[in-house]
Amino acid sequence: MAYIELKNLNKAFGEKVVVNDLNLSLERGKILCLLGPSGCGKTTTLRMIGGFLEADSGSICLDGEEISALPPEGRPVATVFQSYALFPNMTVIENVMYGLKFKGINRAKAREIALSKLEVTGLADYAGARVNEISGGQQQRVALARALAVEPKVLLLDEPLSNLDAKLRIRMRDELKELQKQLDMTMIFVTHDQEEAMVLADSIAIMHDGYLIQTGPPREVYDHPATQFAMEFLGSANRLTLSSGEVIYLRPEKLRILGAYSDGAMRTAETEKKAGTHLICADVVRGEYLGFYTLYFARTDQGEEIVLRSVDGNSVPEGTKLILAFEDADVLMRGAQ
Amino acid sequence: MIKLKRFGVMENMSKQSRCFAGEGMDFKRGRQKNSTADTWYYRALDRGIFYLMAALVLVFVLWPLLCIAGKSIQADGGISFRHYHSLFTDNFKLLKNSFFVAIPAALLSTLIGVAVAFRVALSKGRIRSVLMAILLMTMVSPPFISSLVYIQLFGRRGWITHGLLGLMISPYNQWGIIAMQSLHFASLNAIFMIGLLNNLDHNMIYASRDLGASPTETLKGVVFPLMLPGAGVCFILSLIRSISDFGTPIVIGGRFNTLAAAIYMKLIGYAQLEEASAMNMLLLIPAVIVFVLFRWLMKKSDGMISTGNAAKTSGSLPMKIRGPISWGINLISFVFYGMMVMQYLCIFLTGFLKSKRGVYYFTLENFNSLFAYNIDSLVRSVQYSLLVAVFGTLFAMLFAYYLERRKVRFKGFYDFVSTMPYLLPGTCFGIGYILAFNKGPLRLTGTAAIIVLNMIFKQLPTITKLCGTSLAQMNARMEDAARDLGAGNFFVTKDIVLPNLTQTFVTGFIYNFTSAMTTAGAIMFLISSRHKVAVYTLFDAINSGEYAVASLISTMIIVITLLVTGAVSAVMLRKPGNRSRTAK
Amino acid sequence: MKLKHLAAGMAAAMLLTACGSSAQTATTAAQAESTEASAEETTAAETAAEETEAAAAASGEPVKIVCTSEDYVKLFDKFTAETGIPTELLSMSSGEVLTKIKAEGGTPMADLWFGGGIDAFMGAKDDGLLEQVNFDGADALAPEYKDEENYWFAKGITVVGFLVNNDIIDEAGLTVPQSWDDLTDPSYKGEILMSNPAISGTNYAVVNAILQTKGDEDGWAYFEALNQNIDYYSKRGKDPKVKTMAGEVAIGIVPMDKEVDNMHEEQNVTAVYPSDGIPYVPEGVAVFKNGSNSEGAKQFIEWFYNNDENLQLVAEIDNKDTVKMIKPSMEGLELTFDTSKLMKEDLSLFGANRDDILAKWEVLAGDKSEE
Repeated sequence: MAYIELKNLNKAFGEKVVVNDLNLSLERGKILCLLGPSGCGKTTTLRMIGGFLEADSGSICLDGEEISALPPEGRPVATVFQSYALFPNMTVIENVMYGLKFKGINRAKAREIALSKLEVTGLADYAGARVNEISGGQQQRVALARALAVEPKVLLLDEPLSNLDAKLRIRMRDELKELQKQLDMTMIFVTHDQEEAMVLADSIAIMHDGYLIQTGPPREVYDHPATQFAMEFLGSANRLTLSSGEVIYLRPEKLRILGAYSDGAMRTAETEKKAGTHLICADVVRGEYLGFYTLYFARTDQGEEIVLRSVDGNSVPEGTKLILAFEDADVLMRGAQ
Repeated sequence: MIKLKRFGVMENMSKQSRCFAGEGMDFKRGRQKNSTADTWYYRALDRGIFYLMAALVLVFVLWPLLCIAGKSIQADGGISFRHYHSLFTDNFKLLKNSFFVAIPAALLSTLIGVAVAFRVALSKGRIRSVLMAILLMTMVSPPFISSLVYIQLFGRRGWITHGLLGLMISPYNQWGIIAMQSLHFASLNAIFMIGLLNNLDHNMIYASRDLGASPTETLKGVVFPLMLPGAGVCFILSLIRSISDFGTPIVIGGRFNTLAAAIYMKLIGYAQLEEASAMNMLLLIPAVIVFVLFRWLMKKSDGMISTGNAAKTSGSLPMKIRGPISWGINLISFVFYGMMVMQYLCIFLTGFLKSKRGVYYFTLENFNSLFAYNIDSLVRSVQYSLLVAVFGTLFAMLFAYYLERRKVRFKGFYDFVSTMPYLLPGTCFGIGYILAFNKGPLRLTGTAAIIVLNMIFKQLPTITKLCGTSLAQMNARMEDAARDLGAGNFFVTKDIVLPNLTQTFVTGFIYNFTSAMTTAGAIMFLISSRHKVAVYTLFDAINSGEYAVASLISTMIIVITLLVTGAVSAVMLRKPGNRSRTAK
Repeated sequence: MKLKHLAAGMAAAMLLTACGSSAQTATTAAQAESTEASAEETTAAETAAEETEAAAAASGEPVKIVCTSEDYVKLFDKFTAETGIPTELLSMSSGEVLTKIKAEGGTPMADLWFGGGIDAFMGAKDDGLLEQVNFDGADALAPEYKDEENYWFAKGITVVGFLVNNDIIDEAGLTVPQSWDDLTDPSYKGEILMSNPAISGTNYAVVNAILQTKGDEDGWAYFEALNQNIDYYSKRGKDPKVKTMAGEVAIGIVPMDKEVDNMHEEQNVTAVYPSDGIPYVPEGVAVFKNGSNSEGAKQFIEWFYNNDENLQLVAEIDNKDTVKMIKPSMEGLELTFDTSKLMKEDLSLFGANRDDILAKWEVLAGDKSEE
């Protein structure tokens, strides 16, 4: 049974429709990632869940209760904002304690809870500091602790990692996942970073121009994109025109490099290939060594630009013609052209 | 005709506000679950605060204005539009004169303000403090004495223009008005611009330098464009201020007459309330147009003002500039500061001088005469000004917050109404108060309340605009975050919004206090025998020809104002000490 | 303490207004009776004084006075000391007074008007803003300086002359003008300042007096000529004095009051009484209609004129003895002033002609005063 469910949600700013008939649901204890380019409506959706924006129509059900008519303070959700939105007039611990005041918890108890949340986020040492005296990563944790302190049914995160540097980002991402498991939190996470989405999410919802394109577990969305947009946004895809004239799309990693082209090698490959396997040839234009794998940009005989990934350490010089193989089953999408 | 126009404007504005309906939150939400502390009475309190403020604005701004409008259609004991028949044709030239003076005065005062602001922003350490202190002092401009000293220094036979430079230029014309207004308005403009420069993200300057731009090029390419909307705001505020200023044209205008001065004459010389009221209505038309322009500009400048994680400091701009721009800034600042310092030195010194048949000598004798005057009024002035500064500033902050951040119905209307006092000459706003509050349950004439209320609402527009800019710079997500954590609107206002507007409160306080200590026009008709204020005593001394005593009183007004505002800023803006850490 | 006072005052004011108009006729009737009664009892002055003292003490309502200068506080203190009626004063120019009283719409904040050009008083009477004050002793006042129906009286007269800045005269190589006719000499061009007669009772008196003296035709011709020498007419009554003192002009047309005496001490200026006639204007005294303590104000007027000591005090405060002209029978003061130098003025024409004269003035002065 869905813990949180959005039904037929609509939102327009003036003429511009930002969220169009959105339907989404999430089970308890899971992480949903709203993924899409900027302007796709993901943050608007999050703000409607948080109550900061009123939906034009539709409903938001949380734990069996309709919450769309409630003001933000009446909703059992908490948000970690992209800018953190810490209160500069308060210390770290005062920030974390703030929400407890409205739950009728006395100050001493509130302080205790707040401190425990700061411990969870590793910030107990900074309880008395002012929020503008601590670093960006620490501010991010304060924002998280502050949201956790009120024990929301759903934690909403609006691109919370986007202001952090690459390393810290990965660390926080892992910590967040860890914390989620530990506390069995239900989370809705907005991001435009597909990697972040893949790592964190139990379920990914791809949005584009106000429409929900596809939703499902990361693997399913990656392997079976519903539209070309979903396919191209989540990872990249090679477009290939087969000899039959059919156009297919393939993930770069699904193209196996069989070896350098020679008539003999080609013949061998032809004979050895199983049913459902296709062979094509392409010339390497350029290679990009990325450490644990290498990206090759190549051009097929039909003149299409494709990308290949190779995990073996051998470098392939430019101009090399390669024999490539792929399976029918790996084709993401087909179409005539 | 005029009414129609005004309603048209309001309609436009309410349309705009509807467009922004997406932002913020409104009052008419459905039933909601209570969080423990956010009980119904806090919600009622939150709404109540706004309704109360709205009601006060209607009573203390709109009602007096309606009374003026009502007066303007009174004639021969009945209702008549007689005063409107030839209103426009009769006063067209005056209106033209008003603009003829207002446009250059607004331009010049903005230019001076910007130059001085850069001079201050580029200075460091002690020099900066001194420049800033002088600037704050020039905000305290005791009426009459300032203009008297101006004449003494720069008049036809002024000590500077005639005595030193050997010139004999009559300042009693439009150029004199422009010069005096330009100098006088520049102080506030400079302070406003310094505020903007302080909020400038210094990283932007570093970025520009990094990309190979010289300091001067950075100034031209990055800083100036960013300051442009702010300068526009200064220009428009000065423009309206000039249009509604009657004091300067009366003292220095000579034969040159403006609409505001003519209204004053109609009131004082002919006691023709009805006609003066009709002329006021005429004055409102350009003022309203300019106001609409102002809103448009403010909206445009919103994006230019940096929000969020700007590397803000109140330190000096991290750049050294050279060349013509630098010379220009220095020259303008030098002239401005030179004139101001001389003017204030003159005020101070006159108090210690006495002359016998035209020969001056130093003395403390004037102090003896000083105590013959009603010095109580000084204490009363401080009391009133404190009331105005505290309550007026709080009111303006809250009002700006409700208008800017909360989706209140008729936002455009309230905004418009609350701006009106800025558009009218002070005297007329005072007359409106007498008309409005002379009988019935709202009878306030002869009380201290009417003086304080008049000052609060006369100065409300300026502070509201000031708070509006500060609010625009405040991260709106902070309020979302607080509500998200369970805080109702009341607590958001109390815990988050107000505490984060401390700097704005101090600025508002300074402006309010300073204006209240020196305001004359608006309360001229409201003062009663029991409630004389310092400015009144100042006029009294002038009426008896005791200019030295008047100077002493002015000096006291200036010193007290600087002391009070200085103390308040020091207390409110002190750096928070390291609080004891709660955990180890 | 003060707050309490204020609250009490407001409550009282509210109660009064709440009583409404039905009670008003009754009160005025009662007031009329009481004045009659007190008139009868003037022989038993002591008891009457005691009674009024008691009444005043009981009501505690002060007489609110608007006057031209706070210097008169000594006079009102004397009144309070002798009658027990408290007073409060506020100084305002007569233009301000008129505007304020009109705006107050029948509930004036003042009871007594003390000082200011008589033209304003005449206008106020015509507008029904003043209260008639009939008292014993009014007959002793010179009839030409009081309203024939006793709506206003005078406390002295203001005479008008020239204030001349000697430094400027020397610098410009001019001579000190001695007469009105001197002022039209082209050599004074740009060196004379006069206030707009609309805002200055004094300068209105100048215009009116010269018109009466020279006759309409010659009078206006004179002002046409004078106009050639005057760059602009100031919009504040004080400006001729202030700007002459500051050397902005050489000659100011000013009321010859105490301030001029002060200036004479301190600055290098000369006060000139024109040889070809001195314009003058009586300084009015009147009671406002519907004031909160009109009775007290009326008592003041009676008190003021019936004791020569009070008049002497005013003479002392004003530093002039023109009050002797108002009440010729008064003792203890001799007129040091040659009244024959005053211009011949028919004061009854002051109020009636005001609008016409000012309208003509606007045309004549053109841009210089009004548009």
